[in-house]
Amino acid sequence: MERALLAASNPMDHVYQWVYQRAQITSADTVFTPDGKITVVSNHIIMQIIAVLLLILIIPRFARLRDSGDAIYDLTPRGMGNFFESICAYFRDTVARPILGEHTDRFIPYIWTAFFYILFINLLGLLPLEPLTRSLIKVVYPDAHHGVGGSATGNIWVTGTLAACTLGMIVVNGLRLSGVAYLAHFCPGPLLLAPLLVPVEILGLGAKIFALAVRLFANMVAGHVLLAVLLSFIGMTYSALGAGPATGIGIVVVLVSVAFNMLEIFVAFLQAFIFTFLTTVFIGQAVVIHHEDEGEHKEHAVAHEHA
Amino acid sequence: MSARQINWTVVSLLATVLVPLERAVGSEGESGPSLFTGDLGNIIWSLLTFVVVLYVLGKFAWGPILGALQKREDFIRDSLEKAKQDRNEAEVRLREYSEKVIVAKTEAATIVDEGRRGAEDLRRQIEEDAKAEANAMIERARREIGVAKDTAVKELYDVSGRLAVEIASRIIRKEIDVKDHERLINESLEELAKGNGK
Repeated sequence: MERALLAASNPMDHVYQWVYQRAQITSADTVFTPDGKITVVSNHIIMQIIAVLLLILIIPRFARLRDSGDAIYDLTPRGMGNFFESICAYFRDTVARPILGEHTDRFIPYIWTAFFYILFINLLGLLPLEPLTRSLIKVVYPDAHHGVGGSATGNIWVTGTLAACTLGMIVVNGLRLSGVAYLAHFCPGPLLLAPLLVPVEILGLGAKIFALAVRLFANMVAGHVLLAVLLSFIGMTYSALGAGPATGIGIVVVLVSVAFNMLEIFVAFLQAFIFTFLTTVFIGQAVVIHHEDEGEHKEHAVAHEHA
Repeated sequence: MSARQINWTVVSLLATVLVPLERAVGSEGESGPSLFTGDLGNIIWSLLTFVVVLYVLGKFAWGPILGALQKREDFIRDSLEKAKQDRNEAEVRLREYSEKVIVAKTEAATIVDEGRRGAEDLRRQIEEDAKAEANAMIERARREIGVAKDTAVKELYDVSGRLAVEIASRIIRKEIDVKDHERLINESLEELAKGNGK
């Protein structure tokens, strides 16, 4: 009892990465390898693996093409498949197509993957797994004090890696599909100003990616800390004023926490969407260069008129 | 917009709460975890899990979903196009049929008119024929009456002549030869005719 209250009294415990096992790979002490070691198992890594397993188990099951031979039956959306399909269709038709145009179907698997990967990790982070798995993890790692739980997207290393993937997509596809036009886009002015403009543009790209990583990280951390702080009020009231006032505060805190949990579910979807949406926008900026863009808008307008 | 505002509120809240908390926790122990705990291991794991998801879902989920979406898109487009085409065809056919109906109506009216006119002609023809026949019959009757009258008058003359001769011979007691007899009859007939002619 005392220990649980103590644990609850530090709200940050819910968002930290708890490292269970590390491995020595080098002697160099860098940011990436503190003391030459890297993390092999942590609560966040386990959460990521659980998310991957769920994604692989759930989505293909519902996504399989219905192949009954009856065209109308096959094409009629229904059930859980329809849930995933309608999200996918939304991203493809409403988010990606206006931005990516003809390149939509080339990038849509990446966009869909990014969304569902982040969404599943966000949602898994909302489950109160940590207290439940605390004794379980001690079977494998006797020194561990914290169970598996929390959002892996509340880890800047994870969001940073995802943002770096987006950066890779932007640069590689910008060069591959737009080539010189993409490079020229780094100097949007007279060549004389290139020494000034190019670094600014590169910095701008870096800022976009940095913001992408920090936005997801901060939102996930903030929600969890907020919930933990709210719940810690109960313990604080109990130790300061006793059981009576703590019960009163508890009722209020639990009600507010429920409301905040609802908000967090919304935020889990929202942040996954924002990350994916911005990724799409950035890829679009690299792949669909401006003057082409106008022509495509005209095409779209014509297509809409025809529809 | 409101979602952005919520985000900013959350981030600013986070900043005000986090900084003192970080400091408090940091002072507890040097090796304690921090909000930024992590290293190359996290990068490797994140990349690995993400790429695995990208590959597996790309192979078993996104393909079928994209296929279904494209197929449905094509199906809907085809259906709409077909509907539009059918509609146009129906309209053309409707116009065709309307024209045909109008033509048929005119034709029917012509036929009825012609029939009426024919009937009228026939009626007139029959009437005329009847009239002509009636006239002919009347004419014939008149002629027959005329002939009968003439015969009757002639007989009357004959009888009255013979009577007159008989009466006369009885009076003169003298036989008149046949020659005289006939002459006398003719004379008296002529006189009678003259008298009758007046």
